[in-house]
Amino acid sequence: MTSSMEVGVAGVGLFMPDFPTVADWHARRRSNEPQLPTGSRLDRRARGRSSVLTKALAEAYFEAADAAGVELGEGSAVFGSALGEVGTMLGLLNQMWREREEPSPMAFALSVHNAASGVVSIATKNRGFTTSLGADHDTPAMALMEAIGLIAERGEPVVVVCGEEPTPTALVPDDEAWELAAMAVVLAPLRDDERGSDVRLRGPFKGAPTLAGPELPPMVARNPQVGLLDLICAIEAGKSGILALDRGRGAGWCMEVLFAHG
Amino acid sequence: MTLSNALGSSCDEVRNSLAQPESKLGPSPVAVPFNTAVGAIHGDLPSLDAELGLWSTRLTRIAKQLVLNLDSELAALRGRWRPERIALILGTSTAGAETTEAAFQHFLATGKLPEGYDLWRQHTYGAVLHVMRSLTGAQGPGWVVSTACTSSAKPLATAQRLMGAGLIDAAIVGGIDTLCAMTLCGFNALGALSAKPCRPFSKARDGISIGEGGALLLLERDVEPIVWLDSVGESSDAYHISAPHPQGLGAQLAMQRALDRAGCSPADVDHINAHGTGTPHNDSAEANAIHELFGDEVPVVSTKGYTGHTLGAAGATEAVLASFALTDGWIPASPGATPVDERITINIATERRAGSFRRVLSNSFAFGGNNVSVLLRSV
Repeated sequence: MTSSMEVGVAGVGLFMPDFPTVADWHARRRSNEPQLPTGSRLDRRARGRSSVLTKALAEAYFEAADAAGVELGEGSAVFGSALGEVGTMLGLLNQMWREREEPSPMAFALSVHNAASGVVSIATKNRGFTTSLGADHDTPAMALMEAIGLIAERGEPVVVVCGEEPTPTALVPDDEAWELAAMAVVLAPLRDDERGSDVRLRGPFKGAPTLAGPELPPMVARNPQVGLLDLICAIEAGKSGILALDRGRGAGWCMEVLFAHG
Repeated sequence: MTLSNALGSSCDEVRNSLAQPESKLGPSPVAVPFNTAVGAIHGDLPSLDAELGLWSTRLTRIAKQLVLNLDSELAALRGRWRPERIALILGTSTAGAETTEAAFQHFLATGKLPEGYDLWRQHTYGAVLHVMRSLTGAQGPGWVVSTACTSSAKPLATAQRLMGAGLIDAAIVGGIDTLCAMTLCGFNALGALSAKPCRPFSKARDGISIGEGGALLLLERDVEPIVWLDSVGESSDAYHISAPHPQGLGAQLAMQRALDRAGCSPADVDHINAHGTGTPHNDSAEANAIHELFGDEVPVVSTKGYTGHTLGAAGATEAVLASFALTDGWIPASPGATPVDERITINIATERRAGSFRRVLSNSFAFGGNNVSVLLRSV
């Protein structure tokens, strides 16, 4: 088994069309109509040109970072997505081969998987560490693993943000489709005096889950990043146990959620 | 370590090509409506075995070529460490985009995707991870970094971190990218692509040449290495999504952080493999950053005139190329650099140079303002 270490949770955030904030999600207060992320805290030019995924990741990032009191101009961030900016890529291919036009240079620049991490670092004027990774349905677990490595190395909080834009319909069958979702968790190092308090996480490791993710609508549950939503729900539930981060569709990575009185 | 690119498909082939310095860049095998020179891998790539047939793409076949090159080293690695303690941290910017491009063209022509196309097996990062796990036996943490042109440099930092935290004992790191129409057309639309083989740091430089390739490095604790990974410096420009900070501030930060982490001073570095893409702005910003930190003595080479810019594979590729200075005692000429731009006041090596190289730095900079500098040390 891969060794694991304990870290604290300092804040969470999310964006889903029906639940644009964590408060909406915790209250299960559904929007009157599905919302689109605005990316309101991004640089104005980037806001106009960024994809729905980049904006959703940014919304989740800022909500979690604010909740944790993270200094935005410093610190580290790990962005995760299985397909990344695939919609932008398909748009470029469409432009090149259906419309027979030269691709948009700005769309090309924003088609990279790290578009969100780039525009967020610009918006926050953060010259620190940022990365962008993918591992299909194991993306949440591996983003958490990268963050835990960073905490071990630097002893500072890390914002982990994972999201997926709506299914690229040309490439994925309808019965596998999902809707937009982005989730964020701020992990923080434990100080010695904090070991008996707050919620702590241990992992990721391959193990046998004792906690189940909540029942979710299929279009949410099929999102490859749902493991991070499950983690937010487990933290919300306040119960200790081992949670699968992949809903059985990845390599079996789990996280142990620990409460002092759970 | 191993690599495959326009120069050759093993370390020995690449060394031999570097010793006879001539550009291997040529016409693009990918159809595009403009002239450009690219660095393509020549020769046949190995096929995947039947059980991996559904995952067969150019990207995964390059992966197999690299794994075959490291057959005995990987066997030794597996003999030393449990599979679940061996991580697989790769980088790519394209993933299976080449296959998806072909599928999309088929879709436009026929209204349906081609028989056998599978997004999860042929496009996503999980696809190359599945193939690499199967070929190498690594069962530890595994992911693909995709930060454009720093994608395969960052895994070296991650592996060092995870080892430092005691989370793993060894890691297979590196990256692979293939030539794609979207990449070529995108850089062309940005006005960043040269019609001819690129000429980094030259007065006559006018853009990038794209390349394909891959490189793998095996990182382990407690073994006698080929070279030491001293440290990796990482930074963000926080400036622009596709243009570098004009003074190379983020680049300088990455280099400084690599030095700081290793407890080194600029004088300890004997050679720099520059990111050196060949665009006027990129080379100028990087040269500013190098000059600010290192002055004008340390010899600097861009190897992109040999290989093309292998994008997501460039970081690992150039870390391997830079390591040759430590093991072989010479650095190649920076191809196409003559006449060097007089505004570039660092020491561009326009001829092959022999010497004693103790530490080398390899730079990678990317869209998103993402910067990585890898510091390697001789044994």
